[in-house]
Amino acid sequence: MELKTLIGRAKRGLREELRLYLVAITSLSVAFLCVAGALLALTNLSALAERWGQSARMTVYLRDGAQAADVAQLRVVLESLPEVREVEELSSEDARALFLQHAEVSADLAALPPEVFPPSLELSLASGIAPARVDAMAARVAQLRAVEDVETYRGWFDRLDSLLSAGRGLAGVLALLVGLCVLAVIGNTIRLAVARRRDEIEVLKLCGATDAFVRGPFVVEGTFQGFAAAVLAVLVLLVGFMTLRSELDASLAALTGIRAAFLQPWMLIALVLGGALIGAAGSALSLRRYLTV
Amino acid sequence: MARDGKVVRPFAFFRAGAQSDSRANRPILAFEDVYKYFRKDQPTLRGVNLVIERGEFCFVTGPSGAGKSTLLQLVYRKHTVDAGRILFAGRDVARLTSGSIPFLRRNLGIVFQDFKVVKHWTVFENVAVALEILDMPPRLVRARVAEALERVGLAGRGDDRTESLSGGEQQRVAIARAIVTEPALILADEPTGNLDPHLAIDILTLFEEIHATGTTVLFATHDHSLIGQRDHRIIALDDGRVLEARTGLRSWPGAADTRPADVRPSVADARPHEGSGLRVVAGSSRSGSSRTG
Ligand SMILES: Nc1ncnc2c1ncn2[C@@H]1O[C@H](COP(=O)(O)OP(=O)(O)OP(=O)(O)O)[C@@H](O)[C@H]1O
Ligand SMILES: [Mg+2]
Repeated sequence: MELKTLIGRAKRGLREELRLYLVAITSLSVAFLCVAGALLALTNLSALAERWGQSARMTVYLRDGAQAADVAQLRVVLESLPEVREVEELSSEDARALFLQHAEVSADLAALPPEVFPPSLELSLASGIAPARVDAMAARVAQLRAVEDVETYRGWFDRLDSLLSAGRGLAGVLALLVGLCVLAVIGNTIRLAVARRRDEIEVLKLCGATDAFVRGPFVVEGTFQGFAAAVLAVLVLLVGFMTLRSELDASLAALTGIRAAFLQPWMLIALVLGGALIGAAGSALSLRRYLTV
Repeated sequence: MARDGKVVRPFAFFRAGAQSDSRANRPILAFEDVYKYFRKDQPTLRGVNLVIERGEFCFVTGPSGAGKSTLLQLVYRKHTVDAGRILFAGRDVARLTSGSIPFLRRNLGIVFQDFKVVKHWTVFENVAVALEILDMPPRLVRARVAEALERVGLAGRGDDRTESLSGGEQQRVAIARAIVTEPALILADEPTGNLDPHLAIDILTLFEEIHATGTTVLFATHDHSLIGQRDHRIIALDDGRVLEARTGLRSWPGAADTRPADVRPSVADARPHEGSGLRVVAGSSRSGSSRTG
């Protein structure tokens, strides 16, 4: 088929059904915006998880009244472990000061005595250590004499991890739903366009047009709708992101230590191509049902 | 057939193949004992036998409901025969697969009573569509459309919206679309039915001019005044059967009052029996040779 002719016919179709298609594109872009928004949230959440996972820490709480010699020996043992990068000693006073500095607490809490905060050794672990190894090490350290308890913060990571995988699953379901919705909307729009161009289709067939020739422009038009809706959604999201970015950075960076990031290029391409593909599929399916040639 | 050979028909699908030489000598259209039933008990066509030679101009006439439109529709495969064969350039039209029907239609020019032009397209677009279907490059399309518009007397009107044209002009657009591909056979189903008498004569004259370039024309009409003015072969249908008359209205099937009583049996005579499929060949080849010889 002459590509120029095909594009020309599709352009004419787009012009003729402009209002119908604009309505479809706008409503579809809202659907795409949901997916793009979910992707954005996921992107930043996984950046957070990665950041936290890298800065692996462990806190070794010391027994009440542990001897300074025992603590010093414990420190030597810990520093000799290959997993440990750095050991920092935190007295009750230090811990209290740190807590009061970070948490905006009321005067009641500020009145807490230092004894409430047990002394501890704060360990920075070497990066890239498997969680199982951290667990094993924690178990060994807990056996040592001056040690009251060991906190690996694994619970937090696990929680974040499960949050993340739940988010991924949710986004997947959302993407599927949006995909189906887009498929249906574009299919319906094309069906309307077919009905409105009955006379044209009849003429084409009487002149000896093949099925592919009759259907070609409709598929192009459906593809364009999916593509345009996805692009519109990405643009809206980008504008929203840009305007909120400074505020996001201010609060998020302070809270979590990462800067807000936009969707990665491959995600943008996947969104736009996916939109176009779903548009093509929607119109092709609709033509199979409603354009008996 | 010498005149026929002068016409350039680059898309003559049926001309292809090793037997093209023998095909050229065959009648362009032959009906062999054709039956068509829309209702089980009452056939619309009952045993039609006809031969149309290349380069003939034939009126197809008969009262309303006689089956004129049906006869033409069987040729371009809007419907399929229930018994018998229709040979177009030697090929059995009924046996074409649905995928090759477009290629049959590309060798036909079809004109209707209700024009079947796309009203919101320009005149140019309405004519060009027949060539775009053939994947002709746009530059060539422009040249050929301009030529066709000139032939039907619409030179320079290409940019007009078709709905702004008068009925007669719209029919000329439809005729330009039918001839722009230079088909071997033109089927016109009451092309003058919606037009004033003087316009009808104009359109008939246009078809005769097209015929003069070597195109075979089947012109269905029940307009006595048109048929009476010309000396073309007449294929008269009545009640699904063929009654042939060479010229004039003497044996007009619907005009019982003007018809001599002795004509009526000849209707029965024209009804073919088994195995005598080509009874009317003698009559048709006579008119065919008188036209092309
Ligand atoms: N698609 C169809 N379905 C059922 N019956 C049909 C169909 N097409 C034609 N017929 C019947 O076949 C008969 C012949 O119809 P046809 O249209 O061929 O007549 P015609 O000679 O063209 O008449 P007119 O001069 O009014 O156009 C009519 O009785 C009509 O009811
Ligand atoms: Mg009719």
